[in-house]
Parts: sequence; C-alpha cells; structure tokens
Amino acid sequence: MSAAKRVQQWATFARTWHVFDCKWQDPYESAHVIKKYLMGLHKPIYHPMNDCGDVVVCINSKDIALRGNEWRKRAYFHHTGYPGGASWTLAWELHNKDPTMIIKKAVYRSMTGNLQRRHTMQRLFIYPEDKVPEDVMQNVTNQIRQIRLVPTRLDHIPEEEVKNFPKIMDYPEDYVLK
Amino acid sequence: MSAKNLFLPAAFVRAPLQNGVGRYVCQLQRITFKFCKSHGGSRGLRDFIEQNLVEFAKENPGVVVYMKPRRHRSPVIVGEYLNGDRVWMSVHNKTHDEITKWVEVMRTQQGDVSSSRLRKYQYTDHPSIQGPWTPFTFKIPELNTAQLPDPKFGANNRLPQSATEELRLMFEKQKLNVKEEELKVAE
Repeated sequence: MSAAKRVQQWATFARTWHVFDCKWQDPYESAHVIKKYLMGLHKPIYHPMNDCGDVVVCINSKDIALRGNEWRKRAYFHHTGYPGGASWTLAWELHNKDPTMIIKKAVYRSMTGNLQRRHTMQRLFIYPEDKVPEDVMQNVTNQIRQIRLVPTRLDHIPEEEVKNFPKIMDYPEDYVLK
Repeated sequence: MSAKNLFLPAAFVRAPLQNGVGRYVCQLQRITFKFCKSHGGSRGLRDFIEQNLVEFAKENPGVVVYMKPRRHRSPVIVGEYLNGDRVWMSVHNKTHDEITKWVEVMRTQQGDVSSSRLRKYQYTDHPSIQGPWTPFTFKIPELNTAQLPDPKFGANNRLPQSATEELRLMFEKQKLNVKEEELKVAE
C-alpha cells in the first residue's frame, strides 16, 4: 500500500469523539441516538465487520429526565445466582447509588444482543456532571444534538429579569398563596 | 461466514498490464494434448488433432503445442500461462465440437480464471473522483474552533415551530442591536 493510500485509510477510519449532554434527556430515547454513533451506523462506510465505531462522552448524566412516574415504577432486576438472590432496584434508587448506571444500561439494552456490544460499550464514557477529565475532553471534536429542548427553570433566571417581566396585575399585600 | 473460509480464493476482474488496450499478448504459452491412439474416450481429441490442430498452431505462433500419446489413459489438455498458472482439463468422452470450444477457452483466458471466485463483476482502480469519505467531509467548519460542549451545537434545532413563533423571531431579527445567537426560542 502506497503512502498516500495508507493515509487515506487512516483518514477514513479515524475515530471521532462526540460529546452528548444528557441534561433533561430521556435516557431510553437518547440511547438510540448514542448507539448509532457508538456502532458507526451514521457513517456511509458502515459494515458490521469493519471497526468504524466512534467514541461518545456523555455528560450531566445525573440530570436525565424519565417520563411520567418511571422514577418510581421502573425496576432494574439483578440476580446474584444464589437461591433468593433476586433483587429489584427502582430507578430512583439506582440513580441515587450511581447516576451513570441508567444511561449505561439504556445504551447497552438498545444494541441488539451479541457479544460485540461489550466492546462497543468500552467506547462510551459517562460522567455525572459536566466535569470531564482534560485528556478525554481534548479529543472531542463533535457534539451530538439532543432530542428534547432543555427548559430554563424559573429559579435559574436572574432575579432582575423576573422582576422586570411584564405582569397583568400584582397580588394584593394580604393575599395568601395556597 | 467470512470469505477466508471459502474454498476458492477471492479475486477481482483484472487484465494484466491492460492487455488488449493497444496490443494483445496471448497469455497461453504452452498447450499439451495427452491422448490415447486407440481408446474410445479419446475419439473427440483425435478428431481435433486430425482436423484442427495444424491450423491452430499456424494461427497461434506464440503458443507451443505438445502432443503426448499414451496407451489406455483418458485424454487431457494442459495449458500453461504467462503468469505461471497451469490449467488441467479432462476431455474424456468429449466430442470434437466441445473440444474445439474448450481449446478456444484455454487460448483466450488469462491464467487459471475458473479457480477463483469473483468478488464483483466490475473493478476500477479509481472508484471515486472526489476521494473516499472521511469523518471530516461535510463537517461544519465552525466546529474546528468551537469550545464544546456548546448548546449552539448540542441543542435540538429541528423541533416544530408554530407560525406565531416564526413571526416573532422574524420581528426580533429586524431589530438592529439583536444578535442572532441571543434570540430566545420558545420552549
């Protein structure tokens, strides 16, 4: 292989690092987006037998948003292998123990069950907050678009702006808020 | 199953040194006819030798023709090619016409073609003029200097917008001192 062709090969199969902000995102919906980048499905050169998957760095995984009452109702099953070793952990319990676990399991589950996904998962980095080690962040060259719009919370808007927002009426002094 | 496990080696269609473009070099170097003078299985090959062989040798001066009579053994044609391939073919009980056709195949083919599996029926040295795809093709140039993560590149920009919202944004953009990035999109 000539030098030019070798460089062409490196360029085509270069791994890209993507960052994905999990803030206010449904982990089960975004898992299907992250999966595409991890497996390289978004590339025109994709083939199940070539190694063209990318690296995805997930940040803010503690700020994920589950639908409806899923925090209370969704259970994660584990069995130790011993009799009576089954345990069901609710989503909110699991999230309190490890805020990266829900998104990790969601991505793992979104890939069809072959052994390759163990290796594909090695390319997924999840961080509970937006603090990412420098040696990871310096590789990132692309950002994956979120699925949902991140709303701004009222207590995050500066007080000045809230005060100056046009109002129809003011509550009377002696009004008791329920 | 991967292609390594198949019996036939995989190959592409190819012409050695663009054979046939400008000049043609016959790839067949030697051809050997082995036959029996008395056995019925060699009848077709004997007919070929009587009727066509001299003409064949005259028409193809680049091909060395050997004949090897051998008693009570089945007839065989062996061709040797410029690239070192050797093709062995049994012509037992083949008729004169069939042998004429097979000799023509041996003369015109370029090596042991039938022992390889064609991966594709077409081949080109230059599959693409603009070059193969890389992760950097069609990339937004702004990403080169962007400080990631940035909501400008991370936020969903394909959400459906109401007509009211679009009108409001058009109105806001008309204002002189408003930068496009600072525009508040409705949530």
